[in-house]
Amino acid sequence: MASSVNKNINSKLVLLGDSGTGKSSLVLRFVKGQFIEFQESTIGAAFFSQTVAVNDTTVKFEIWDTAGQERYHSLAPMYYRGAAAAVIVYDITNQESFERAKKWVRELQVQGNSNTVMALAGNKADLLGARKVPAEEAQTYAQENGLFFLETSAKTATNVNELFYEIAKRLPRLQPAPNPSGMVLVDDSHRPAERAASASCCS
Amino acid sequence: MEKKKLDEHEAGPIAHPKVDRFGFVKQEANSPDGLTRSRSAFECEREERRIRKWRKMIGVGGSDWKHYLRRKPHVVKRRIRKGIPDCLRGLVWQLISGSRDLLLMNPGVYEQLVIYETSASELDIIRDISRTFPSHVFFQQRHGPGQRSLYNVLKAYSVFDREVGYVQGMGFVAGLLLLYMSEEDAFWLLVALLKGAVHAPMEGLYLVGLPLVQQYLFQFDHLVKEHLPKLGEHFAQEIINPSMYASQWFITVFSYSFPFHLALRIWDVFLYEGVKIVFKVGLALLKYCHDDLVKLPFEKLIHGLRNFPEDAMNPDTLLPMAYTIKVSKRLGELKEEYEKQHGKVSDSRIKQKLQELNCPDAASLQLDGKKICE
Ligand SMILES: Nc1nc2c(ncn2[C@@H]2O[C@H](COP(=O)(O)OP(=O)(O)O)[C@@H](O)[C@H]2O)c(=O)[nH]1
Ligand SMILES: [Mg+2]
Repeated sequence: MASSVNKNINSKLVLLGDSGTGKSSLVLRFVKGQFIEFQESTIGAAFFSQTVAVNDTTVKFEIWDTAGQERYHSLAPMYYRGAAAAVIVYDITNQESFERAKKWVRELQVQGNSNTVMALAGNKADLLGARKVPAEEAQTYAQENGLFFLETSAKTATNVNELFYEIAKRLPRLQPAPNPSGMVLVDDSHRPAERAASASCCS
Repeated sequence: MEKKKLDEHEAGPIAHPKVDRFGFVKQEANSPDGLTRSRSAFECEREERRIRKWRKMIGVGGSDWKHYLRRKPHVVKRRIRKGIPDCLRGLVWQLISGSRDLLLMNPGVYEQLVIYETSASELDIIRDISRTFPSHVFFQQRHGPGQRSLYNVLKAYSVFDREVGYVQGMGFVAGLLLLYMSEEDAFWLLVALLKGAVHAPMEGLYLVGLPLVQQYLFQFDHLVKEHLPKLGEHFAQEIINPSMYASQWFITVFSYSFPFHLALRIWDVFLYEGVKIVFKVGLALLKYCHDDLVKLPFEKLIHGLRNFPEDAMNPDTLLPMAYTIKVSKRLGELKEEYEKQHGKVSDSRIKQKLQELNCPDAASLQLDGKKICE
């Protein structure tokens, strides 16, 4: 395997968070550059992909956007298991959604993969007048839990690309560490489950 | 393609130039509204003959329906499979689902639920109202009649069965019904479906843990492997499972992000024959696109499974294909197998309610302290 100068990696990313916090809107903004005021609610889960370039590496995010309602909880593990990154979204105008976000963080800490890069996104940052969750509170919480934190707005596009870019930078594969196996730099984590070995390969 | 002609021939219910026959606002290019061709005079005549036959079959306001159904169930089945005429759809759906009887036997109950009760799900419902069929004129207007009736039906159900409450996905089912009947009728049809007035109850789709969704996905997974082994193998290689593409088929019975004209045809059969049509249609879709799907890698495959080509979703080719796929026997066996592994989905609670809601036969029904059937 040649030492790769231009690397391509695939990373599975999952969006979690209460219903109505703007998960689908964030994805739509990131993937298509759009915002739709009345986005259909997500039933089950939806899949998207988008690439981000970090230095000499192209990260292709394979994104699972999940349904947020509590009742759909039982479908979530198959999407976050094996995810390289998780974005946990709350709505800055809704305190309850922040509490729900914390629950997700705890669940990932217990059930998830310890290598998963976790980001906390306080969405709807354009609605400053209706803010219920102070940015400092979320920032402190994020620091304590080793999460990367940003306030975003899918509506105005503020911090949306930044969010995904920062996640890409933090992926273990992009950290300057020797590759232990000396082998292929490929992230097969988009395979939702157990099987680690994968046929796909980088360039 | 035939855009001009198409518009001339469209006598939609609402005079809105950018709306299709069913009231959905058209997307720019190929809107999947099933009206890609205009109807010929011949077809119109045939349609009228069909309506006349149907009217005779059901009688005034459905008065002859039960009689006809008892005498000629196979004729009914055949006709339903060809599609219920749109102008009679609402009434026929109520007749075949058993919701008519529930409604007649429970006067005033719906009103009671809507007006006097409060529901813990109210905020959840409100949040989703404008996100349910956002491209349909009836549901578009903020606080308009469409949104109000959708809210009322969902709220009433969440009170009627507080354990189910409101679950995302129910809105699409209720929304579809509301395009064909009144609020109260839609509510009772929802009850008939979820409580199992005619077929097995479907509330397990929405209960905590979504047990029935899990069971259906298990069954579907096996059916794919058995009916389409090559594709099943390919899915296994790409680590794709039905939960990634089919959960919303079951949760909303194809009413979510499927062409509406196809959804309606599926619902015609679904209400009469039960959930097995969902499996058949799912398998038929995979079968139709089989040769393309087996070649696709993970990502394209996921995309393909959520965006079937327009020709695959033509009801007049897809449904006949679906009817040829036999699943009943295996569905039964797979259900047993699933229950052995995971326990019964239809726990005592559901069974009890099923009995309760055989209202025409049961003496009375108590639910949340209120009499539902006398
Ligand atoms: N003002 C504002 N509204 C937003 C933003 N993101 C999403 N929304 C709105 O919030 C509602 C829910 O968004 P959606 O993406 O469907 O949420 P999801 O349930 O988490 O996927 C929609 O009506 C969006 O228009 C945002 O950044 N700012
Ligand atoms: Mg969503």
